[in-house]
Amino acid sequence: MSNNIPCSHCHLEFSKDVMIKDGNHYFCCNGCQGVFHLLSDEGLDSFYDKTGGTTLTPPTAQYEDSSNFNAPAFYDKFVKTNSDSFNEVSLIIEGIHCSACVWLNEKALHKMEGVLEANINFTNNKAHIVWADDVVKLSQIIDMIRAIGYNAYPYDATLQEAHANKVRKDYYLRMAVAIFASMNIMWIAVAQYAGYFSGITQEMKTILNIAEGVLATPVLFYSGWVFFRGAYYGMKNKVVNMDLLVATGASLTYVYSLYITFREHGEAYFDSVSMIITFVLIGKFLEVISKKNAADTLDIIGKHLPSEVTIVKDEKIVTCKLEDVIIGDIVVVSSGEKVLLDGEITKGEGSFDESNLTGESEPIYKKSGDTVISGTTSIDADIHFKTSKDFEHSTLSNLVTLLESAINKKPKIEQLANKLSEHFSTAILVLSFLTFAFWWFWPHSFEESLMVGISVIVIACPCALGLATPVATLVGLSLGVKRGILFKEAAQLETMAKADVLVVDKTGTLTVGKPEVINEEILQEFDYRLLYSLVKSSNHPISHGVMKYLQEEDKVDGEVIFDEFTQVSARGVVARYQEHIVIGGNYKHMIESSIDVDYISDKSVFYLALDGQLVAIYELSDKVKENAQSLVETLKKRNIETIMLTGDNEKSAHSVAQEIGIDNVNYELSPEDKLAYIETLHKENRVVVMVGDGVNDVLALAKADIGIVMGSGSDIAVDISDVVLLDSSLSSLLNSFKISQTTFRLIKQNFMISLVYNAVTIPLAMAGLVIPLVAALSMSFSSLLVVGNSMRIRYKWKRN
Amino acid sequence: MDNMIVVMMLGGSLFLGAIALFAFLWAVKNGQFDDEEKFLNAVKFDNEDDLNDAVNQDKKREELKKKAYKPE
Repeated sequence: MSNNIPCSHCHLEFSKDVMIKDGNHYFCCNGCQGVFHLLSDEGLDSFYDKTGGTTLTPPTAQYEDSSNFNAPAFYDKFVKTNSDSFNEVSLIIEGIHCSACVWLNEKALHKMEGVLEANINFTNNKAHIVWADDVVKLSQIIDMIRAIGYNAYPYDATLQEAHANKVRKDYYLRMAVAIFASMNIMWIAVAQYAGYFSGITQEMKTILNIAEGVLATPVLFYSGWVFFRGAYYGMKNKVVNMDLLVATGASLTYVYSLYITFREHGEAYFDSVSMIITFVLIGKFLEVISKKNAADTLDIIGKHLPSEVTIVKDEKIVTCKLEDVIIGDIVVVSSGEKVLLDGEITKGEGSFDESNLTGESEPIYKKSGDTVISGTTSIDADIHFKTSKDFEHSTLSNLVTLLESAINKKPKIEQLANKLSEHFSTAILVLSFLTFAFWWFWPHSFEESLMVGISVIVIACPCALGLATPVATLVGLSLGVKRGILFKEAAQLETMAKADVLVVDKTGTLTVGKPEVINEEILQEFDYRLLYSLVKSSNHPISHGVMKYLQEEDKVDGEVIFDEFTQVSARGVVARYQEHIVIGGNYKHMIESSIDVDYISDKSVFYLALDGQLVAIYELSDKVKENAQSLVETLKKRNIETIMLTGDNEKSAHSVAQEIGIDNVNYELSPEDKLAYIETLHKENRVVVMVGDGVNDVLALAKADIGIVMGSGSDIAVDISDVVLLDSSLSSLLNSFKISQTTFRLIKQNFMISLVYNAVTIPLAMAGLVIPLVAALSMSFSSLLVVGNSMRIRYKWKRN
Repeated sequence: MDNMIVVMMLGGSLFLGAIALFAFLWAVKNGQFDDEEKFLNAVKFDNEDDLNDAVNQDKKREELKKKAYKPE
């Protein structure tokens, strides 16, 4: 393999013989050659100096017509007009590998007439583009991105992302101010403490106090604003929350310190004010960023495409908004497209993938007169169908309506932190008031009593308590992300740790969900290249299964280019290579091509015939995923019961359940049945984790305490789920349980640490024994303990 | 006198620090730290071409704006 050379565009290495030679350059395909020339013509070839040998994806994919992007319906949904009456859109760019790719896309778009701004984020591949619509159209922009070897699709940035970004930026600003002021206060405080022990003039003390006061003011009122707001909403709902404790503690200390400063007597505590706010703000910020990361990935998974359908009107084919289709319209669906409405086929035939709705993994053949259901996908069928319901009443939107109500009724498990902080905050506020009252009546000056009362609040500093949950969950979330497990919200880690029953869907969750070859029978020697090229050219799942098998078994030794190739709907494919006729497909296809077949199975079978002679048989079936048994066993040991719910028939449900070792099996369930099943579990006060992947699981996923969805699942399932397993493997599922339980244990430990700390220091404060230095030191120390304890788990996991 | 020196030094250093803080806040608001990767890589691509490109983009924007506001 020493004569392999890299392609001049994508840098993937191939043998010199198969490459396209063009001057001094070699290309692996026409796509790469095209892009290379385009870049040279545009004067952008310095791109290749910047890539530094990173391999790119060859631009071979074929895209549907980009004029869809100019449709009014599409503009309504994704394109915004800014104040200068320019258009703006948010896109996700596919195929970005390195910073040079970002550079190239930006430059190429900048060179276009009418494009005013193209800003691509390297971290999440999102682009923000501003253009003048009278000069250039969105479709031209998309075409340009495709022409240079990338692909782009729009997403709705207004939803979660814009909001998350705004919140995050807001926190950045508040934290920057808080940290800046705290650091400056700290070095002024060093002078204060030195003076406390070695003597200091009152004048100097006042100067330092004023400087600290100036710095602490923006911290309390700008950075600390979130706590005042939180406390206000808490009070409105009659809840004593942590925010209230932080807000009262900090502002009382602030007012007291001001008083001390102007009376020029005693010790001011401005350093405590800014420290409390800064520490707890950091804790809150950690929670905020953990939410933002999940939102990023979701946009990428949930691709949004124009919601338009093609219909036949007055014998012409026109596109039309989904909502405008009326009953009786003839809708055109071509192979690979999603069916968005219900109806009856009037023309054409082919197979449909209904796994979204029924969980049935094998494709279903439909012909004229059969009904098609919205939400299914056409695999190889080009059909016309007459709509029987409008979009509002279609199966798909019915599911969506049911779903919305399920999400709204989702049970909320109270979080340990909320439960604890309410009691804690109340107790501290009461204790400090009692201390103040006690000292005052036991004749002390008002000033001294107030100081002791406040010192109770300051020493009970909620820093450690406020950091306990966010730091632990952040560690948990990052453990998950590294293993392809995305928790959408930090709180879900805790809920999941309390779960005692796991409900799983069969197809796509326990099983692979795609047919795989389980049996190969060679009747006659043949050229594998023919078979490989044949199955590669077809997009039917069965062909995919065979193709994957050939790749895995390493039987691929090249490809051929067919002279003729035809796909026969719901049958298979026919191809001609030189003088050979190759036929691949199902039983029907063989019989109709008058080829003798004497092998019949109840599973899906792919037959291959060469020149009228059957040469190979591949039997395919949906396989159980790896680790399924160990998952069920391990969970049983952890006292979590596994229950299987499936839309499939009894026979296949039981055969899978038996193989894995699940005792509780429920089959032939509709999406509504699954929902009802979760509800009965809830009535027994059980905390339910549901795992699924398709539209048929969506209702149950929304209703369950934790809905986990496989990354390969449908968009809608990913949208409503709480946890996404990117690699769709069962070991990730088990890991997600382990991570959540570890994290919850960590949270409990952190609370123990901060409570023990408080149990020791609060009595000291009540007795008036706490000097400012001790208060400040112990405060930092307790926070460090909590953070250190959380990091410990991270290293423990790393070692394993 | 001693006290005045402390006041001046405190005031001076806090003032300088505040300038830096406001510069940072401005940069955050401006979106300069939105993409950490790009921010770090910017050094690599910072050359004459890119500066020209940025100026051209600004010019293009101005021209189109003028066109859009042209009296009918």
